[in-house]
Amino acid sequence: MTSSISLDSAKPARGHAIARVLENRLPYLIIAPAILILLLVGLFPLIYSLVVSFQHVTMTENDRSFVGLMNYAELFRDARLWEALGHTAIITVIALPLELLIGFLMAQLFIDRMLGRQVFVALLVLPTVISPIVAGATWRLMFDVRFGPVGEILSFFAGEPVRILWTVNPSFVYPAIIICEVWQWSPFMFLLLLAALSNVDQSQLEAAELDGASYFRVLRAIVLPSIAPVIAVACLIRGLDLVRIFDIIWALTEGGPGSMTETISLYTYVQGFSQFETSYTAAIAFLVIALLTVITTVVLKRMELAR
Amino acid sequence: MKFKTFLGATALVALANTATYAADKDAADAAVEAAKKYSGTTISIVWEAGLQSLDPLNYSGPKWEKLTGIKVKVVEVPTDQMFTKILQDFKSGAGAYDALNVIPSWMPDLARAGALEPLDKYVDKYGYRDELQDIAAAYRDNQMQYDGKIYGFPDDGDVMLLYYRKDIFEDPKMKDEFKAKFGYELAPPKDWKQFDEIGQFITDKMAPKVYGAGFFRTAPYPQYMFQERFRMEGGKFFNPDTMKATVNSDVGLKVFSQMKAENKFMPPGVEQWNFVDNLAAFLQGTTAMTISWPPYGRWAAGYGSGEEALKWVPKSQIAGKVGYAINPLGRPELGVGFDLSVSATSKNKEAAYLFIQWLNSKKTSLERVQLPYTLRDPFRSSHYASEKYRSLWPDAPAYLDTIKLSGERGLLDLSLLQQDKYDEAMTKAISSLWAGEEPKTILDRMAQQFDAITDKVGVDNQKAVYKVWAAKPGAYPK
Repeated sequence: MTSSISLDSAKPARGHAIARVLENRLPYLIIAPAILILLLVGLFPLIYSLVVSFQHVTMTENDRSFVGLMNYAELFRDARLWEALGHTAIITVIALPLELLIGFLMAQLFIDRMLGRQVFVALLVLPTVISPIVAGATWRLMFDVRFGPVGEILSFFAGEPVRILWTVNPSFVYPAIIICEVWQWSPFMFLLLLAALSNVDQSQLEAAELDGASYFRVLRAIVLPSIAPVIAVACLIRGLDLVRIFDIIWALTEGGPGSMTETISLYTYVQGFSQFETSYTAAIAFLVIALLTVITTVVLKRMELAR
Repeated sequence: MKFKTFLGATALVALANTATYAADKDAADAAVEAAKKYSGTTISIVWEAGLQSLDPLNYSGPKWEKLTGIKVKVVEVPTDQMFTKILQDFKSGAGAYDALNVIPSWMPDLARAGALEPLDKYVDKYGYRDELQDIAAAYRDNQMQYDGKIYGFPDDGDVMLLYYRKDIFEDPKMKDEFKAKFGYELAPPKDWKQFDEIGQFITDKMAPKVYGAGFFRTAPYPQYMFQERFRMEGGKFFNPDTMKATVNSDVGLKVFSQMKAENKFMPPGVEQWNFVDNLAAFLQGTTAMTISWPPYGRWAAGYGSGEEALKWVPKSQIAGKVGYAINPLGRPELGVGFDLSVSATSKNKEAAYLFIQWLNSKKTSLERVQLPYTLRDPFRSSHYASEKYRSLWPDAPAYLDTIKLSGERGLLDLSLLQQDKYDEAMTKAISSLWAGEEPKTILDRMAQQFDAITDKVGVDNQKAVYKVWAAKPGAYPK
């Protein structure tokens, strides 16, 4: 009798416990398949690449033996790799501030209500929706020495034929890349900054105006602090994109003349898919991941967004 | 006893049938006959994307299906990705490709990796050896085998030819003035000094309407031009004992300096010209000389001008005015080419082999090289002699004779292990040359890059492959 009572009372207790456990774990159980798939899709290739980077795999030699840190040591001896990183830095350091500045100026221009504003904004954003490889190919045609409008316009102003080999002449290849890059991505900055400027507290601006604050004073004391988080995010996104720049350069110069405009993405591509150095390419990829992680962490920390 | 006799007789009859198989039928018919047993299957073939692949898409693929019931799936791949795709398929073991188009200079890498099926047993089984002898020696002896085994059938007579404007070269006034100035006849140049003198002379007389010459200056053509000129001037790529690169010799310097100087009498911006830019300039009459692959000659004559697929080719303004000649110094670069091969991972090797034998056979290949819209060039003695081909346009006999002569004297592309890396170094070096860097600096850097590649591949491995390549008749001029 006693035992039956205890058994009867134990059943609901156990049921409650299971229900509680289920209740606590249910969210985890629900998201588990998605997490598993994400891990498989995201983490597995990463781990696999890491393993490959310690091997000696090329497309022609199927040598799976481990070579320790050989590929990583090779990174430090590879002058072309460091040159490619240098080229990437040059483009990033020049293009990013230009895009930010032009984007900001455009946003300032369009912040006030004006006739046809929406149409102009839509037109200005068009370059951003074009594929970068198409943008690069288009600018290659624009810079063409025989038929390109750029040469025609310069000739018109110079009053004599101006023949610049934009994609061959060492003095003009970087300007050509940066013009194309800035043309395509300044509108992206413009869009973000236009949205941010629209949200600046109008009462503060009006108060400053009543106090007779100059434009630059208002800009420095009210506008920039208000839109600083958006600027930081925009710079982070574009900065990371610029470190990975590939398509525009591929279409314009293919990294030439010689290796003069070869960026880290182009070099990685060449090593992986033209020279078939699979393991070495994996090591380069991890170097780039490490660099980008450091940059992102530092920027996020500075922005105090990491939390 | 009677049964045994019957069996023996049957076997003899079967053997006799097999022996006469090849004798009775040409290689095309033999391949069709044998392939009928695979009717209903599908084979895939990797083909260069663009015009080249119109051959199997529009002509040979449908025809093969009609003859044998075997469907052909054409996998179009851009040239610069073909090597990767073929190797990736092999490495993965997927067997997605049955037959392949392979650039001959890739053959050492692909054969060593095991990606190509040796074809000798099929060649003997289907009696194809005799017809292989009809393939021009430059291709047959140099582009078919690796390590003594057949891995591909040369299927494209790529070779560089000099095209020139006969109307300008035969103009009496130009001829007289030229002879008075230089002391020899205005004629297709015999060496690069003559080429430069003629080019500069025409530019001085006729620019900007017509320039002395124009070349395709972006990759990959200039590196083939460098390979040809460097060897014809006496240069060697490597020291055969040490495998140290010798491209930065005085000969290399001379060739680089000449190549750069020639831009001065070519149209402005020639440094950026690609295949189509150069073609357009020549066809529109803007340049008086150019060097390129054989399709230029056909299109300049107006052959195929009505074809939908060739609408992008500018209408030739110089039809009937084009002369064909062998390159200066007389040994032109073969420049790329294609072999037909069978993938080692194919699940339909026999059917794939029979398809490539049929494609490559005397009969089918003659039809294919006359397709106006594809880029396959004559590569067999029977193509050069074909009455049908020679009657396609008035100057076709001269065109075919020049291709034949150029093919016979053709210089092989350098073909080593990981050749793509040496090619990349040459391509980058030449783009630096157009950008104005000092030739000596560029050549020294290129030699260093060659050495680094050789060290990575392994000096002894590469030395062995180089030795085999350098011993071939088309490697270095004798």
